[in-house]
Amino acid sequence: MAGPNPAAPAVAVPPARRRSRVGKSGAPRRTGTAYLFLAPFLILFGIFVIAPAIFGLVISVTDWSPYKAEQAFIGLQNYIDLFTPGSITFGDFWQSMGATGIFTLLSVPVMLVVPLLLAVLLNNKIKGGTAFRAIFFAPYVLGVAVIGVVWRYVLDTQSGILNYLLGLVGLPSDLPWTVDVPWAWVSLVGVTVWWTLGFNAVILLAGLKGISADLYEAASLDGAGAIRKFFSVTLPGLRPVMLFVTTTTILASANMFGQSFILTKGGPGNATRTVIMYISDQGLAQSNMGAASAMSYILFAVLAIISVINFRLQRERAE
Amino acid sequence: MKKGTARRALAATLALGVGLALTACGSSGSTGGGASVSGEDYDGPKVSISFWNGWTGGAAPVLVPKLIEKFNSEHDNIEVKNVPMEWADVNKKLPLAVKAGKGPDVAVAHGDDVATYAAQGLLLKADDIVKALGYSAEDFPEGLMDAGAYSGNQYGIPWSVTPLGLYVNNDVLKAAGIDPATVPSDKDAYMKALEALKAAGVQGEWVDGYVFTGTFEFQSLLWQFGGDLYNEDVSKATFNSDAGVQALTHMTDLIKDGYSPANVAQDGNIKGLLAGKTAYNWNGVWQTTNEGFNSIDWTVAPVPQIGTEKAVWSSSTHWMFLNNKGQDKNKTAAAATFVKWMNANSAGWAETGELPAANEVRNDPALVEKYPNLKPFLDQLPYAHYETSAPGITAANAFITTALNEAVTGKKDPKQALDDAAAKADEVLKQNKTKYGD
Repeated sequence: MAGPNPAAPAVAVPPARRRSRVGKSGAPRRTGTAYLFLAPFLILFGIFVIAPAIFGLVISVTDWSPYKAEQAFIGLQNYIDLFTPGSITFGDFWQSMGATGIFTLLSVPVMLVVPLLLAVLLNNKIKGGTAFRAIFFAPYVLGVAVIGVVWRYVLDTQSGILNYLLGLVGLPSDLPWTVDVPWAWVSLVGVTVWWTLGFNAVILLAGLKGISADLYEAASLDGAGAIRKFFSVTLPGLRPVMLFVTTTTILASANMFGQSFILTKGGPGNATRTVIMYISDQGLAQSNMGAASAMSYILFAVLAIISVINFRLQRERAE
Repeated sequence: MKKGTARRALAATLALGVGLALTACGSSGSTGGGASVSGEDYDGPKVSISFWNGWTGGAAPVLVPKLIEKFNSEHDNIEVKNVPMEWADVNKKLPLAVKAGKGPDVAVAHGDDVATYAAQGLLLKADDIVKALGYSAEDFPEGLMDAGAYSGNQYGIPWSVTPLGLYVNNDVLKAAGIDPATVPSDKDAYMKALEALKAAGVQGEWVDGYVFTGTFEFQSLLWQFGGDLYNEDVSKATFNSDAGVQALTHMTDLIKDGYSPANVAQDGNIKGLLAGKTAYNWNGVWQTTNEGFNSIDWTVAPVPQIGTEKAVWSSSTHWMFLNNKGQDKNKTAAAATFVKWMNANSAGWAETGELPAANEVRNDPALVEKYPNLKPFLDQLPYAHYETSAPGITAANAFITTALNEAVTGKKDPKQALDDAAAKADEVLKQNKTKYGD
């Protein structure tokens, strides 16, 4: 539900599709064998991803309630409501989409740049590099509930250690880290970066290791300095990996739920209530399954468009 | 409102005979699976019944299995299976499980969920069971039976209540030169104490804008000023009345006048109280089990009367009998025996920081002797208000917290915040009427 989940992006298939084109040239028997090996995954994927997704689409055109014996088909009414100002869901839905957008815009650049710098640092043969890698990755293994509760103690307005430390160095010691904006956004982004940067860093580090040392050597011979090498060798070499990291990070940020749910409760008012929070509230807590499914599909459409644009932009340069 | 109809329904069922199947008085909601319950213990063939509850924390996970073991050993023909899970999971799993005939025979739920379940046809009407077990509204605190009733029928049998109280850190008071012996019980005394604390550099009550416990405080104040959350038939929100505005203004004034810091985070106030940074905290009876209190000198008292009348917020939990597809009447009858036994043996439930609902148990002097901290909570029950019993009400209630949060963070003034919330709540109430029927 939150944090970068590498299994989540259904839209991130293109690289695999490209590879499968190569397979087509093989004999049909070999294709059959491949499908056989893929079967265990495909069956689970079908049951837990494809089937619920189709079911969700069905739900979104009904006034679904888990308690009724029969569900009424209401066409696109749920979708129309979401685009009709003044409807019961319109204001809250788009407000939560906006909150999600703010979070994504604020968090994605940080979650790309910081792990990239970290990966470059770790890629140098420094003493204790493995230990640092483990340390940076460590928060990622914690659940969102754990990091949420821990940070609530740290970020408490009156009793939190962060405000206490700020006070010690003469800065304001009453900042509402989880209570008011913009501080709540700073906290949410900061906590998320701290929590998940290790994951992106490890992927980028693997990408860095894949860049041939010959290229750096050649660049050195041509007189390139460290900065020039970073921009002319490292970054272009990382493009395929960057594509993956950017896509998963955007999707993960757009699906943010736990941090807001635990740290800010969506407050102040509903300013930090993300769209996933609103959808889960509508669908699971209030049993407005139809409306919630329609919202999910709109979110899906938006994310699909963003992902396609992202692919287009980065692929053109990559190839 | 509900009381009258509920009584009439009771009288009607009484006339029809106690042994009548529950379906007799049922309409669309509760079909099938009625049970013949007698006041005596269930004496049919041996049955195994499953019991769902959300008691996963605190003392309950130890206490409940012990109680059930004792019950099972005393009843040869009934075996109760305890199925604890998170409250949210009970909520999610119950509808589908009951429809598939795989739900529990008996379950415990919070007062604000009972009507929602009932409207969905998940529950058996319990009027006959209540009658057969010999319960009446007088066996429980006033208004509590109604908190488990919906649309003229009884669906829940009270199990526990959890009112709000005023927690006091005596160390902080003493340091500020205030005698902790008398706890303020009215507005004048309370504001005087806050003023004295302020003079000593202590912000006496930290107001927060979250469900725990700002919303509970707001609701207590709303009732104290003579208001109510909704109108009689729960078709319109009334928490934006003058009483509501007065209640919320009292809370925002505490911040404005410096008796409370601004921007208190979730649970910030109870942490502040335990850390000796503030003197008073409006919090639930469940905090009496908070081990943090062991290290401070503290008392707990009834919440002060800020408004024109005495009132305090309380939530409640209720027993429910499930309307599983093909529900076995014997199992429901056995479940009724279990409920009666549990209520009669609920004295130990105080261990979990909740008050047993049954008057007989609660009024036993031994209870206060063993748990002296519960006394102020018991004393408040005569004027406690419980959660509104209407299907889908939690969705409407959520807007109250939004309004509170907007007001205490200064995003809107109290009246504006409450008016906006009430307008949204009205829409949800309207939606609920069509969603759950009437």
